[in-house]
Amino acid sequence: MRWCLALLICALVAAVNALSSSGSRLLVVLDDTTEKSSYSTLWSDLEGRGYDLSFESPKSDQLSLFAHGERAYDHLLILPPKSKGLGPALTPKHILDFLNKDGNIVLALSGKSSTSSAISSLLLELDVHLSNDRSAVVIDHFNYDTLSAAEKHDVLLLQRPNALRTDVKAFFDGEGVLALPRVAPQTLGSDSQLLAPILKAPTTAYAYNPKEEMPSPDDIESTGSQLNVVSAIQARNSARFTVLGSVEALEDKWFSASVKAPNGKKVPTVNREFAKQLTGWTFKETGVLKVGKIEHHLATDGEVAAEDLNPKIYRIKNETVFNIEVSEYVYDKWVPFEVPGDDKLQLEFTMLSPFHRLALQPTSRTETSAVYSTQFVTPDQHGIFSFRVNYKRPFLTNIEEKHEVTVRHFAHDEYPRSWAISGGWVWIAGLWSVIGGFLAFVVVWLYSAPTADKAKKTQ
Amino acid sequence: MHLWQATLPFCLLASAALPVAAASAWGFTDATVAVQPKGAGVNSGFKESLSSSKPLSQPVSFAGADTLRVILTTQEGSSAKRPHQAFLLLKDSQTGLDISYPFTVKENGKSRVELTQKELPIQFLSLSEPIDARVVIGSFGSSEAYDSSVFSLSIDRDPDHPVPTIEAARYGKLPEIHHIFKDAATSPPVIITLAFVALVGASLPILAGLWLLLGANVNHISSAFKSAPLPHAIFLGSLFAFEGIFFLYYTSWNLFQILPVAAAAGAVAFVSGSRALGEVQGRRLAGLR
Repeated sequence: MRWCLALLICALVAAVNALSSSGSRLLVVLDDTTEKSSYSTLWSDLEGRGYDLSFESPKSDQLSLFAHGERAYDHLLILPPKSKGLGPALTPKHILDFLNKDGNIVLALSGKSSTSSAISSLLLELDVHLSNDRSAVVIDHFNYDTLSAAEKHDVLLLQRPNALRTDVKAFFDGEGVLALPRVAPQTLGSDSQLLAPILKAPTTAYAYNPKEEMPSPDDIESTGSQLNVVSAIQARNSARFTVLGSVEALEDKWFSASVKAPNGKKVPTVNREFAKQLTGWTFKETGVLKVGKIEHHLATDGEVAAEDLNPKIYRIKNETVFNIEVSEYVYDKWVPFEVPGDDKLQLEFTMLSPFHRLALQPTSRTETSAVYSTQFVTPDQHGIFSFRVNYKRPFLTNIEEKHEVTVRHFAHDEYPRSWAISGGWVWIAGLWSVIGGFLAFVVVWLYSAPTADKAKKTQ
Repeated sequence: MHLWQATLPFCLLASAALPVAAASAWGFTDATVAVQPKGAGVNSGFKESLSSSKPLSQPVSFAGADTLRVILTTQEGSSAKRPHQAFLLLKDSQTGLDISYPFTVKENGKSRVELTQKELPIQFLSLSEPIDARVVIGSFGSSEAYDSSVFSLSIDRDPDHPVPTIEAARYGKLPEIHHIFKDAATSPPVIITLAFVALVGASLPILAGLWLLLGANVNHISSAFKSAPLPHAIFLGSLFAFEGIFFLYYTSWNLFQILPVAAAAGAVAFVSGSRALGEVQGRRLAGLR
């Protein structure tokens, strides 16, 4: 009986662990409850991963993202409303406030109807741009589903994306084909480093307003891989905002659909896995970094005593060791963080500007964390320095560590003695010859007898 | 089962025949690519006709002020028709960058697109390899869309004009920095130092020699020690002790260690010195000095 209880507690703990790293309260904003049933697989998947789902209509009076000035929910999933806007509780300002208070948001768009100007202005705040008339749909005559969109070519079939760059971790990759019906494309501003495309349209794709007959060349604003199907914003506080161009891709229908590309085979879609990856990433189940112990000390052979760890003061030209422990959250547990491919975790030793910027190498690992360390000589400049680890990468939460230490110069008794400096021997010899000369002079002055003939001369 | 096996070859045959019969494919004909230098006549400059099946073997050179013009007639099957999508797609295979320029298409399929270097993205201007120029023609329905490389475009820059670059801030690793330390203090070669030490050391014998030449001596030492042995011994001893104290201060002692010792030696030197110097005065008064 007792071990039954223990087992139950263990299971409960595991259930509690199988959660996002930043809370489980998820608010789904959708127009009417009839719509809710067409996404039932998504809801059950989310509930299975430990989220407490609340459903609200944007028109609802009770809907508020905040209670007593704090977030009332941890995550937000907004489905495109049929009405003009998202209502008074979800103005762009409220949504940005939610983001600023570390809330994560998935915003789904749909190319079926034109996007409301409220959403468009919210996205503009984040430097994500919709097409000018807000009702464009991505068309690709090469990668479409011949079964469901043989005529209109507006169901895109795409591979799951690989890593964005060689130095970025892939969170959305995998085998299989995604079906994305009626995608509302986004373009990203090029100046922001907070933006990252998750899924781009193929090079032959273009966007056009289906209400128009034939697009004139001037109507085509952007084409090919400049069009984003799914894009992500990670704010400076690591809160995440994902824009999904096609809300229909989350429907039960497309979770279990089979699709056929032109000249291709009939294959089942992997929308369900992708939805897990996408919501998992946005709601901080993946790509979350945590810093454990940070240790720095003078380089010594063997163990470092506890009192010698993290000293407040170093001397210039000290051989110093820096260790940082980093863990990554993957769905339900912390694992050792591995720096992706070409990337490097870097340590800066800075006073105003970095004097050293060195790659930290993995040296040891525990079950839940990896320890990265490096060894360097403190610069020959005294002052207030800091050990800084500023690791900001697309799709990973930010690490910003700053540990201040004083670097003093040599104390008077730490310099080499003058006799150890061969160039100083001449001066030392001069000093002692003066002393010898003085003593000889004293002896001569005390005991010298005048010479006979000289004494006569002077008299 | 048998029926299925029997019908399979027939289906394959039918599907092979199908494109000819029903599902036609998009393509183009009467295509030319021309590069017209600035200010030159319409038909001057480079001009080459394009084939929809095979790209041009030589890259098309596209210099600073030139206008690139591609003219073609789009076709569905073999009849000229206006497609929904007719793009000139420029694609760099190395960076994966792509951009499309839509053709202006008339109802009869006649299409043209004109392009200058100003319209290209800045990233294309700094590429060393020619970029791939493709024609993409597609439309709704079952007709197969066309996407094929037709020529490669080599973007030539005037070497006198710097290539504009664009630096977009992206999160990533930064270049490593290793602090450059100031040079350590160095000493001259020991041989030279030793030579100068020898020179300095030689000053003592030279001084002694000069004094001897001038008649310096210690002849009174015996009479002095006879008349006042203790004061002289202690006075000289305290002077030597002083230098010894300084030597210890130089090597190991600190100020607080030498001060009491130096005070004691000083007092001894004062008392014994007044006696010893009194004896010296006595010698002077006696006319011996």
